Amino acid sequence: MEAPKIFVIVPVFNESKVLEKIVQNLLACNYKIIVVDDGSTDNVKEIMKNYPVIFLCHRLNIGQGAALQTGMNAAKILDADIVVHFDADGQHDADEIKKLIEPLLQNKCDIVFGSRFLKDENVRSVPFIKKIILQTGRYINWIFYGILLSDAHNGFRAMNRKALEKIVITQNRMAHASEILQLVKKNKLRFQEVPVTIHYTKYSQQKGQSIFNSVNIIFDLIFKKFEK
Amino acid sequence: MKLIQVILLISLIIIIISYFRWFRSAVFDKILIAAIFFAGIMFVIFPDFTTKISSFLGVGRGADLLFYMAIVVFGYLIMLLYSKIKKLENQLAELVRSQALAGAENFSVLKKDDGSK
Repeated sequence: MEAPKIFVIVPVFNESKVLEKIVQNLLACNYKIIVVDDGSTDNVKEIMKNYPVIFLCHRLNIGQGAALQTGMNAAKILDADIVVHFDADGQHDADEIKKLIEPLLQNKCDIVFGSRFLKDENVRSVPFIKKIILQTGRYINWIFYGILLSDAHNGFRAMNRKALEKIVITQNRMAHASEILQLVKKNKLRFQEVPVTIHYTKYSQQKGQSIFNSVNIIFDLIFKKFEK
Repeated sequence: MKLIQVILLISLIIIIISYFRWFRSAVFDKILIAAIFFAGIMFVIFPDFTTKISSFLGVGRGADLLFYMAIVVFGYLIMLLYSKIKKLENQLAELVRSQALAGAENFSVLKKDDGSK
């Protein structure tokens, strides 16, 4: 059987400081990489020229959800079998992709969500405030979409071709994580959670979501119900 | 006719003309705006109307009724604007996305080497 084509989508916005290291790690693991630059104002394009990655550039900053969808469109064009979402701020571990896509390769499910709350040693490293926000978030997702995951907004996930076709992100900003859940539910995709490590570096803390943004996400979700 | 009636009538007419002249949109919007416009004219010419309607509805004064209605209408307009902005945002995303995909320089890099994982 032909080896499955695995693409790792890395959405970036002004992260050239850490991006290089991440791309090196991913290349070392032999994955195909799609870097989607969401209107960065730094020199990410020059840096990425030196690496064998697909580089897509949003001329304007639209949002992480939009960047992921651009990457997914490219993956579809390139006949991807499996697509992995990977944050560019150094939170995720390239080595853990193998673990994440395992259930997909065995065809046990269509989409795999990384979760930082499935292993005790991972839970300990999560900052207290984050814990509270994420716990609230997972119940909000449960109320909206009827799926209760152990982790609400983990950017580390992987999906097979079927899920790739069904999941089209229209939430351009951060509410896409919940939108994916909604689409999983709607299309009756099989899902599974896999424990992953999240590295809380000083850098990722700065770049990451603030408390206020979770309020934004809730509003995006509520207003989504009014659209169409 | 009192002076305030003249002022309100003129400003209403200016608003409605500019709406149809520059902000034309769906038929429903037009009907709604026209209805509000004629209601406005009726209220201005026959101010007792609002009092009658409001006492019928259980609100004390006509001015209070208008105030409450204005809140509702503004709420509706904000929702309308919000959804329009969302729609525009999505169209913009679509545009930027297609441009990004068209401008992908090294698609070929990965299409060639299929030996990797």
